[in-house]
Amino acid sequence: MNELIEELKQLIIDSLDLEDVTPADIDPKAPLFGDGLGLDSIDALELGVAVQKRYHVKLDANSADTRQHFHSVENLAKFIATQRG
Amino acid sequence: MPGLPTDADARPLLIERGGPLARTAFQARVRALRAALAAHPARRWALVSDDGGGFAAGLLALADPRRTVVLPQAPQAGSLKAAGVQVDAVLTDRPEDFPGFTTLALSQPTADGGEMALPDDASPIEFYTSGSSGAPKCVPKTFAQLRLEVEALERQWGATLGDAVVTGTVPHYHLYGLLFRILWPLFTGRTFLARMCAQPADLREAAALGSCVIASSPAFLSRAPLGELPPASRVAALFSSGAPLPDETARALGEDWGKPAVEVYGSTETGGVAWRAWDGAASRPWWHPIAGVETELREEDAGTRLWIRSAWSGGDWIATGDLARTEGARFALAGRADDVLKFEDKRVSLSEMRARLVEHAWVADARLLLLPGRRALLGAVVVLNGEGRSALEASGKFAVNESLRAWLRVSYEPLLIPRKWRFPDALPGNAMGKLEQAKLLTLFGDET
Repeated sequence: MNELIEELKQLIIDSLDLEDVTPADIDPKAPLFGDGLGLDSIDALELGVAVQKRYHVKLDANSADTRQHFHSVENLAKFIATQRG
Repeated sequence: MPGLPTDADARPLLIERGGPLARTAFQARVRALRAALAAHPARRWALVSDDGGGFAAGLLALADPRRTVVLPQAPQAGSLKAAGVQVDAVLTDRPEDFPGFTTLALSQPTADGGEMALPDDASPIEFYTSGSSGAPKCVPKTFAQLRLEVEALERQWGATLGDAVVTGTVPHYHLYGLLFRILWPLFTGRTFLARMCAQPADLREAAALGSCVIASSPAFLSRAPLGELPPASRVAALFSSGAPLPDETARALGEDWGKPAVEVYGSTETGGVAWRAWDGAASRPWWHPIAGVETELREEDAGTRLWIRSAWSGGDWIATGDLARTEGARFALAGRADDVLKFEDKRVSLSEMRARLVEHAWVADARLLLLPGRRALLGAVVVLNGEGRSALEASGKFAVNESLRAWLRVSYEPLLIPRKWRFPDALPGNAMGKLEQAKLLTLFGDET
């Protein structure tokens, strides 16, 4: 799980072209959107696309769940781990 | 005075998180809010809700000739503190986010009752948008203007929409989303989805309910993979507004997805002006004015500026921010006539943001610029004062970036916050205009 968390941090930094941010700056429990990392709605869209492409997970669970999965790096890692079975 | 449509069928008025909401239940909410507001002395009311249903009920309850509804540019407390924005109270579903303001909760105990009348046509509603002056620009409208625009949209596309469920990927607190996602269905008896669809999966979920209408934008459509959208056969109409769709996105929707997007040109000031739909064949069509809109070109130094007039824009000629050329009634756009930036469907005044940044305790001076690239981003060049330089030395660049970003987040949506920051000892060059822009751009070097 820790490995996946580190991988996701790097995916976020690379796919969203974040500057001055290192994996260590990203708290796995902190919200990705709003006050935490300050990602915006376009980042949400791009990250959703990147995650589906990289991990072949389907995000068509109901949208309240999707929001929950993208709340933090930790949630996202848990979701991907479950989907991979 | 007309009321809301009272269809005999059992179509819900909206669908919210808890499920469908019947017309009668919605009307009961509006009546309860009207009762709570009747006793309240405040005259200028900001309306803030993350939920389109709550927003709709709040708007219908607040709208009254004796009150002014203020719709801030962003649903944050900072937007209400900006220069030129005055409110007595805030009607909201999250009062805790508005410390220091008089607030009233959007959820009030409801009671049953009869039909509910629509607000008086003269009820004032103020929109705020980015002006070129450095402060948010107030765009005053009346309830009649919103009603007239919905009538125009219904004449233009009502038959295409049929009884489809209305959804959208754009916020309901700006004019386009408010009209297309909320008021159009509300006034014409169609069901709408209360929440905004932020992901393609949200749209697929909505389309599973039946035929749907999607109000979207280039920011969304240029990023959502076509295969992730609901099938075109389930979509009665796909609208896009806020900026022109990129050629490749417009073509892909028409040719590969299977239905051209209907692009709508307009602004907060003008409301809807024109439309075009490209199936990918031959060249991109010109803009057709929506029935009821007159257009005119007026010569200026910068070129020929487009002016428009319609009943819903207030009846007088209004200058758009765009240069244009015409061919009969149709027109093509030819660039902005002012220095306001169109950025991911949003308008942002860089001078306004600069003024806000300079108010931060660490900032001596600042410039903002658009950085070209895969995704256009705002870059900030900031000259720190002594205090700011100490903070940079003590805590590092990430921490200083974060402090400045947090400062701007109070007033701006996350999408508009600069993503790249530079802290030179002085601003490059001393000339104004293009030379300075070019020098600023070199600070961002190879990354752009």
